[in-house]
Amino acid sequence: MSLLEILLLSAGGVIVALLVIFGILRLLYKVAEPNEALIISGLGVRVDRADTADSLGFKIITGRGVNVLPGFQTARRLSLDTRGVNLQVSCVTKQGLPVTVRAVVIYKVGDDFASIANAARRFLDQQKGMNDTIHELFSGHLRSIVGGLTIEEMIHNRDALTGEVRQSSATEMIKLGLIVDSLQIQEIDDESGYILNLGKPHAAAIAASARIAEAQRDQEAAEVEQVSAAKKAAAVRESQIQQAGYQAEVDEARAKASQSGPLAEATARQEVVVQETRAAELEAALAEQRLQSQVRKPADAKAYDTRTTADAARDASIAKAQAEAKETELRAAADATRVKTAADAEAQATKARAEAMAGATRATGEAEAAAAKARGIAEAEAAKAKGLAEAESARAKGLAEADAIKARAAALAENQEAVVAQQLAERWPEIVEAGASAFGNVDHMVVLNGADGMSDMFAKALSLGGTGLGLARQLMDAMGKPAEKELDESSRRNGELKLSD
Amino acid sequence: MIGSRGRVTGTIGPGLVGEVLLNVRGGTEAFYAYPADPDETYSSGTQVLVVDFEPPRTVYVERWQPLSR
Repeated sequence: MSLLEILLLSAGGVIVALLVIFGILRLLYKVAEPNEALIISGLGVRVDRADTADSLGFKIITGRGVNVLPGFQTARRLSLDTRGVNLQVSCVTKQGLPVTVRAVVIYKVGDDFASIANAARRFLDQQKGMNDTIHELFSGHLRSIVGGLTIEEMIHNRDALTGEVRQSSATEMIKLGLIVDSLQIQEIDDESGYILNLGKPHAAAIAASARIAEAQRDQEAAEVEQVSAAKKAAAVRESQIQQAGYQAEVDEARAKASQSGPLAEATARQEVVVQETRAAELEAALAEQRLQSQVRKPADAKAYDTRTTADAARDASIAKAQAEAKETELRAAADATRVKTAADAEAQATKARAEAMAGATRATGEAEAAAAKARGIAEAEAAKAKGLAEAESARAKGLAEADAIKARAAALAENQEAVVAQQLAERWPEIVEAGASAFGNVDHMVVLNGADGMSDMFAKALSLGGTGLGLARQLMDAMGKPAEKELDESSRRNGELKLSD
Repeated sequence: MIGSRGRVTGTIGPGLVGEVLLNVRGGTEAFYAYPADPDETYSSGTQVLVVDFEPPRTVYVERWQPLSR
């Protein structure tokens, strides 16, 4: 036996020993599942919790594993699973109505150690019988729960139900270490028909509203159907009317088409007749033309020729006879005229001669008498006219003088200076004469410049004399008295005719 | 358990046995609940604070007061 073999055997022995130890430990080790609690009691069980120190002294393991010494310790499993119990209870509601209630209670062991300990003490060996206990328990509780509720609350108000469940079962559940997850009321058997009747008004209302709605919908549907039917009928009517109209048009067209054949034929025949008539007319016209040209025109020509010839012969004979008669008449008239003219000429000549002689004699006498008379008259007229003219002249002169005097008097009254000037002008020759006396010592004066030179000289002489207008006025005053005297005389003799001037 | 915050699942009030859902032992469990102040009433859905615990399954609660309020 080699060393290697010894080593191999020892290693195999170790492995076997280890496997044996593992198997033993595996048998001793207990693990708590999540839904269960291990209740361990026996040798050396330490209880750490102070509040359970004075208790019965067992160990509660949840969620982990622990070694259990066989023969000295025991490990029991308490299920923490949810459990359900069906209940069927005849009870009386708050309103006093007898009902039979079927319900389900869902409960479990509480998760805390106190609840587990309570439950372990009560149910560890009768976990199968836990449901019976709960059934009995909740049958009583359900009576109290249902007795605190009305049927309506049971049906509708879940909050009230759970509240009642808690209210009635809380302390007892704590004692048992259980918690109620849910209480479900599954069915309520109502012998009095309360629930049925409870729903009836609502059901009736629902049914009524359903019927009303159905009726309304039916009515609306019927109305719509009627409207639709009416529209359909109207459409059918319209369609038929249009079809009839189209049929009438088709018939009309067909009748027209059927009549168009005979009509065309008649029209064509009419055209033929018209053309034939026209042809006949043309033929007649042709025959007439031919007759005209061949018969009538020659006959007319011949008749015209005959008539023209006869007319010409007759006219010629008439003209000839007329010419002869005219010639005879004219010849007789010419003879008579010639005789009468000769006689008239003779008589006229005689008469004219006699009248000329008588006229000459008378004219001579008359002329002489008229000449004498005219001469006398002329002389008398001349004398008369001369006298008259002289008288008129004298009278006019007197009148003029009188007017002049009157005017002078009026002027004197109005403007002395003007009158003086006037007087001066009128007396100019005498003034000149008086002035000329200044030239008395001049023996012989030759005036070279004619009349103008004379007047210049006089003016100069007058101005040189130093007297000027004063001299003139003086002269005028000297002559003024005789002038006024003469004026008085002339005014006194105003009415007389003074022929001597 | 004391100091846990939970939600009311059954009305808590005088004369009633209420229910509170709490986070414990890695899960949620329902506990019977009573008001710490006997006159208070907490309806379902109210957040509450556990102020006392009575083994095994009874708690006393008062209304949860968020810090922000």
